[in-house]
Parts: sequence; C-alpha cells; structure tokens
Amino acid sequence: MLDQIKKQIEHIQRQGATYVDTRWYPYEESNSLIMWNGNLKEASFMRQSGVGVRVLYKGAWGFSASSDVNDLAGIYAKAFDNARIAAERVTFPVRLAEKDAIQARFVSPNRINPMTVPLAEKVSFLQQMDEKLNQPGVAQRVAFLNFIRKQIVFIDSEGSEIEKEITEVFAQLSVLGQDAQGEVHERSFNLGQEGKETRGWESIDSQFFSEQADRIVKELNEILVAEPCPKDTRSVILLPGIMMLQTHETIGHALELDRILGYELAYAGGSFVTLQDFGALRYGSEKLTARADATLPNSPGSFGYDDDGIPAQNNLLIDKGILVGAITGRQMVEEANAKARRQIFNGSSGANRATAFYRVPIERMTNINIDPGEDGALEDIIAKTEKGLVMDGTRSWSIGSNREQFHFATEIAWLVEDGQKTRVVKNPTYMGKTLEFYNSLSAVGDRSTWKVEFVANCGKGQPNQIMQLGHGVPVCRFDNVRVGE
Amino acid sequence: MATINTNERILDTLHGLRKYALEKTARRKMAVGLRYHEEDSYLMRFANSAISLNTNEHLIRLEIVAYEDRRRASYELITDLGKLDEMKQGVDTAIELVSHAQPLTYQPTIPVYAETFCDESCFDPALAHISNNERLAYFNQAAAGLETDEIRLSGIFSNGATTLAMVFTTSEHAQLFRFSDAQITAVLSHSGLKWEVIAEASAQRKVDLDAGKIHRDLATMLNHYQHDAPQQLPLGRYDIIFGPAAIAEMVSVMNWIGFDGGMMKRGYSFLSESQVGKKVLSDQVNLADDPAQRETFPFRRDLYGMKRGYFPIFERGIFQGFIWSQDDADEFKARPTGHSVYHTSLALAGGGKDVPHLQEMIAMPRERDLLYIPYLHYMNIVNPSKGVFTASSRFGALLLRQDGSVNIPYNVRLTQSLLDVFGEQVDWLSRQTVAYNTSGSYGSRNPSAVIVPIFMRVNDLEISHSNASY
Repeated sequence: MLDQIKKQIEHIQRQGATYVDTRWYPYEESNSLIMWNGNLKEASFMRQSGVGVRVLYKGAWGFSASSDVNDLAGIYAKAFDNARIAAERVTFPVRLAEKDAIQARFVSPNRINPMTVPLAEKVSFLQQMDEKLNQPGVAQRVAFLNFIRKQIVFIDSEGSEIEKEITEVFAQLSVLGQDAQGEVHERSFNLGQEGKETRGWESIDSQFFSEQADRIVKELNEILVAEPCPKDTRSVILLPGIMMLQTHETIGHALELDRILGYELAYAGGSFVTLQDFGALRYGSEKLTARADATLPNSPGSFGYDDDGIPAQNNLLIDKGILVGAITGRQMVEEANAKARRQIFNGSSGANRATAFYRVPIERMTNINIDPGEDGALEDIIAKTEKGLVMDGTRSWSIGSNREQFHFATEIAWLVEDGQKTRVVKNPTYMGKTLEFYNSLSAVGDRSTWKVEFVANCGKGQPNQIMQLGHGVPVCRFDNVRVGE
Repeated sequence: MATINTNERILDTLHGLRKYALEKTARRKMAVGLRYHEEDSYLMRFANSAISLNTNEHLIRLEIVAYEDRRRASYELITDLGKLDEMKQGVDTAIELVSHAQPLTYQPTIPVYAETFCDESCFDPALAHISNNERLAYFNQAAAGLETDEIRLSGIFSNGATTLAMVFTTSEHAQLFRFSDAQITAVLSHSGLKWEVIAEASAQRKVDLDAGKIHRDLATMLNHYQHDAPQQLPLGRYDIIFGPAAIAEMVSVMNWIGFDGGMMKRGYSFLSESQVGKKVLSDQVNLADDPAQRETFPFRRDLYGMKRGYFPIFERGIFQGFIWSQDDADEFKARPTGHSVYHTSLALAGGGKDVPHLQEMIAMPRERDLLYIPYLHYMNIVNPSKGVFTASSRFGALLLRQDGSVNIPYNVRLTQSLLDVFGEQVDWLSRQTVAYNTSGSYGSRNPSAVIVPIFMRVNDLEISHSNASY
C-alpha cells in the first residue's frame, strides 16, 4: 500500500502538482455506550478505513477521499482535478512554510487497549455507575463511555513518512433533577487527565468514578433547593470545569490563524485579533500566560505530529498578558507573514489536523493551557474575595462571531461573601467582553488548582469536523463581571 | 464524479446480507437490521475571494443493528459494495455484540416492513452531478462586480447525492430513499472593518438554483453597509424583524427542547403534556411537520415503515401534541407518530403580511424604529424549562429608522424565551415563505431544510449586550 501511495504521489507531481500528501487510515475504530436511567440506549461500534489526498497546484488546494482504496489512481486524479479548478480563482497563492522531512512513529500513552475489553465489562461498569447515580432527587441519570482508536499513516511529497496510533477515552456521568418550580437542573462529571500518565481502559477507575457520582448527586440536590443566581456585577472564580471552556472559546478559537486571516468567515466566524496585534495587544492582565502545548503528556491535544507532518511543540500564545502567538499550520503562517510584511511566525506551530481520512486538515487547538499562578489554592482566592461567585460545569455557551463577547451558563455556583463560600445558587450565568474580561483577571491559582480537562467534540470547518483536545487550566478569578442574566 | 450505486445493486447486496443474517441467527430468537447510507458529496469553499478548498467524498456506511429479546447493539462500518466479506463480518460482530448487551427495561419495537417502498421523487441527477465548472460559475455570477480589494467573498457551494436503504430480517421488504441537495452560502466581508453580509439558498433540484437572487440580496446589503452610518445600539427593548436564517434556527431549537416527546419526558422541554390543546404561542403561529414539502428533503416513511403525513404541532398557537420516535414511544408507552427519521420536515406557515423580498422589507413604511436581524450566531440553550436561549446577531443586521433611513448596528446579543419570541409579542409574519437549508456536514450527509416565513416581526425584545464596533 505504501509503495502504491508513493507512486501515485510521484505521478501527480509529474503532472505539475507542487505538493501532495496522503493520510491513509488502515483503521479507525470507535465504541460508544450510553446508559440512561438504567437502559443501555446505545451500544454502538464503528470501523472505517480509507485514504484522503491533498494536492497543491498553482497555489490552490484540491482534496479527495474514499473508503475504496482499490482505485487509488482515481482518488488522486480527482484531488488533482479539484485543485486545477480551484486554481482558476486564487488571490493569494498557497505557500507552505519550510519543514524537515521526518520519518517517525507516535503512540499515544495507554496500557489497556479499550477495544479489547469485553462489552460485558464495559456494561458492568455502566451498571455500577447507574446504581450509584440512582439516588433521591435524581430524575435522569446518564453514564457515557466513548473509545476511539486509530492508525494514521502520513506520507508527503517532501519525504515525510509518519505513523501514528492514537487511543482516546472519554467518559461522562450526568444527573438531572427538577426543582419545586419544575425547572430542570443538571450536574455532570467529565473525565480529564486526572494526573494519570496513560488513558487506556485503565482510566476507567470504578472507585474514582463512584466518588464523582456521589459528589454530583450531592451537588444536584443542593442546586434543587437553591435560590436563584443574583443579577448584578461581581467577581467570578472559575473552576477548571468552566475555565477550560472559557479558555477554549475566547483564547483558543480566537487565536486560530485561519480565523484571523478570514478563512472561516462564512461559517464559524472570524477573530477580533488582527495581524498587527501580535507582540502588542494587551489581551489580559499580567497574570495571564497562555500556551499551546502539544507536548503535554497524556492528553488528546498531544498527537506527536500534526497532519502537515510537523512535530508537536509548546508555544506561548499570551505572555504575561501580551499576545505573542497563534495556533498555526504551514499554509497560514506564510500568508500571515506576507500580509503583515514582517516575520510574525517562525514556521508552523504544528496544529493542522483533520478529524478523519475524509476531511482536510485545518488549524485546530492542541492543548490550550493557562499557566498556574501565584495566588495560592482555591481557598486562598476565596478568602480574598469580597463579593463573588465560584462557578463550575458547562451548561451553555454562546460566543460572538469574532470571539469578542460571550455568554456562559454554568451548572452550579456558590456565593462568596466577605471571603467565605456560603451557599449554592441555581441558574448561574455570566457574560462579558473578551479583552475587558481577561484584563480583569485578578487571581490565578497555583499548581494545586491546575487540571487538564479533555474536550471530545470541538466543532469547526466546512465540511464540518469534530476534534479532540485538552486544556490545562488553574482556578482563575475575574472582577466586575455581569452575572445572572 | 464517483459512480453512485444503482438501486438494484444496493438492494441486491442488502438482501444478500439479510439472507446471511437469517442463516446466522436461525437458532436464536433474533432480528437484524441493515441500514445503508451512501453519499457523494462535493464542497467548493471560498475565502478571501479565492477557492480555499475544493473537495469531494464518496462514502458508503453500513449500520447493522442486532436485536435479541430486549437487547440491542449496533455495528457500523464505512465500506464498499465490493467488500461483501467485510460486511458479513460486520453482521457477525453485531450478532456477537448483542448477546453481551444489557436488556432494556422496555420491549423495543423491531421494524417489520409490510411493503417495499422506494422514494426517489426528491432526487434530481442534474443537481447531484453538477460540475466543478458550474459551481464556480454560480459563485462568479453571485458575486459579480461586488468584490473589491477590501470586500472579499467567502462561502460554500455544497451539493451531493444521498441514498438510504434499509432491510430487516423480519420482512423481505425494503425501504430506499434518494435525495439530491445543494446548500449555498455567500458572504461578503470587509477585511478591515470586519463586517459581513450574507445571502443563502437551498436547492433540491437544479432548476432551484438562482445565482441572480443571491447577487441581488448581496448587492442590497452591501449598498447599505457601504453607505449607511454604523452605530452601537443602546441596551434596551426593540421591535425586531427576524430573517429566515434566524427564524429557522429558532424553530429548529423548538424541535429540540419543545415538542419532542422523549425530550419532554427527560425534562428538557419548555412544554408539558398538560399544555396539549392549550394556547401556548401567538395565534399567528401555525407549525407542522409536513413531508409533502419537497424542499425539506422529506421522509415519507419513517425508519419503522410508518407512513408519514401532515402532522400539526401548533395551530393558531394551540399546542397540538408531541412528536414521538418509535424508541421513545416504546420507552414511555406513548403512541409513535412516525418521527423515527433522520430529520423532520418542519413548516412554519406564512402570515398575513405581504413582504416578498429583502428589498421590499427595507422599503416598508414603519411607525417606529425596527431592528432587522437576519441571522443568529451560536445559539445555545440557557434554560430549557423556560425555553430561554442566547445568541448574537450576525451577517448584516440593519436598524430601520422610522424616517425611512437605515443605520448599521454593531452586533448585539439576545437572551430570550422562545415562548416570548413566538408568543403574544409576534406582530406579523410574511405571507411568503422560503426553504432555509439547515444541513450540517458533521457525520454522514443528511440534507435538511425548514420552511419559514421570510420575515417575522416580534415586538419588545431585550438586547442584553451591544458591541462597540464591528
């Protein structure tokens, strides 16, 4: 197969293509299990294989994919034909940043392949969790497991040949109840890194999940009898369970270079960030340092090499409040530097990824992290907060098309009054303007508050793509925030 | 272009697999379902006035569902009709899996097709097979003369063919549906100022394509955005005219957290069983699931073989009842309503106001300032029990002044209840309707559209955030 792919790449190059790459997926498997109120509503397995081909011709991309690899020549011919027609409407011919030709292999860390675990064992775990969640106050209970395992072989016309084996494990527990007014409330737990070095089936630790089940049931019952969230302006202390989403939506997506350059304007949106802002824009207070770290051990945002064949990197995005970097691939850094008429980016940051063999790689988040700070543990931050809310869990999120403003609802919040965490409030929300919000960052928790959360389903692009990634974030406090609307 | 498999080849393969499944399950009280999905998808994407991506995928998916007593498990593969052994292995795997699944607390219904049903009435080969050159020509015409160095074209021309076929071991009959579809989005944006205007279209047949209308709508909006004064709107309450994209988005959300019986039973609904037969929304709101609407890419049978016809949901604002998929009906002991489908065919009827086009809407005399919001970006549910959503305006909002002038408002945020937006605050709906394409391209191709009035005016809605610039 590899020889056939290489021959096809050479053939298309001889026809005038300036670059060709191929992602061959010998296999991709997934397994999804949902137990809802004791019913195994979903027990599905999926397997796919195929080839995706990307061709660059006269500065324009063509792409074609098929699960039928018996007609490899047809797939390459179609990709080339797609590039030829695209070359009829070019305004900035695509150039690719320099890179080294790499022969490498990457295996994501896992000890027990979840695909080899018998279905009965997985169902047994879900039953155990279902029983734990089946408590007074809980009207709906859901336990969810999702496993992905895939092999990707990347070959390009510049001599790279990279093989990756990726294993992902995602898990969620969720409970829902109705308060005396008939309003529904939810509390959930999503599996993150949890300080572990691997994420195979060994991540599914019954004891740990049982503790989380007890916690979310207890917190749901507190929400059900809580008073409504106040509607005013105050400090918000975001726990990692919501700080990860805040980071994702208003730092991660805002700093994708394809968005900044206008490549997502017809769908996902743009960014308030301009090329002139790099090195100059005060994105947040001096307490804010953010990075794209694809070298973080054991996270879905660490994948060894991106789908341009660029090795994983750890790059600053925001350094003590100042914007310094972006999430980039080979194409966009060249265009950005040319349009800015200065060298903003020194090559790709290795963040070009595709969700499947039949989708084209685009700029995707790796692990978009916030560095821990020096403001102590959560209790220390609360003690220094006069009037605030401690918030956790993602209930809803809506962000302006240039990521300039946002509205989030969280699952739970606790009032903070005169340095004390007092009681739970229900239907908590907060909203803000991105730059104003990050410049109000007044406390960043230390390493003890820092947690790597996983994201299983980040959506972007046309055709649409789902991507997996991570966020390592500490507890953060922001001041003068509108809440309760 | 990839060769789309013929009905005969698809059904022969499925019947062969059915025979194999019957042999494999002969000694067990089991049933096996085979669901085939074939897509031939093309997408030309534009950005910065260039073709940023030109792609196609030809994919065949086979989902095999095995039932044994109250147990159910499924196995899906992306495959090829030539790989019969692989598909048979898939049948073996599904049969193996189901024995390890946990029994449901209810008896799931297994489809028994009483007759073979093939529906290709929504398939137009001319649209499915449109060429790269035609896609490019359409966009060139849609944007002709409108682009400058600063004003750039973005968008997509997505089209394709989708074939769904299904057979179960419970019956020798099969179902097959074939659709052609196109979704067009054209955006003009200012590279420096960061404003955007949009025109969109949905097509089920090639003759539905009209690049001239896209051009007219873009030109109208562009003229305002180039010549009218921008402003930050003060926070407060506004009378709002929503465009078709915004209306379709809100109707789709109602499908999710409103009248779906399973969601209601699980607590994710702002409607309750006690509201059936009662007035819930404005008497101008008439909403139905109407598979007769060709533009919605309708399923005229559901996946269980149930005939689908006109199903009223709201009539003069009175709630007529919940829709029920077979599985939810089985679980909650309700009567299925033929809604085990990949998508519904929702149609919000037009009202009494004659407003056929954007240009007429802008020119209408008005007794006070009106805010036009064509599109709601990133809608999400804040409180499902109260139907509260939040979203921002995008793609060409206008402030239509009482004196006939027009200003350009920076984007704003609405956090509102659907009960208010479709409630007594509705002023009017346009008589004219349009099919708004709601297709996504996550997962397998599933063309869908909602029929909505082109415009709907709702009074006294609150703006909770207002941008200070584009």
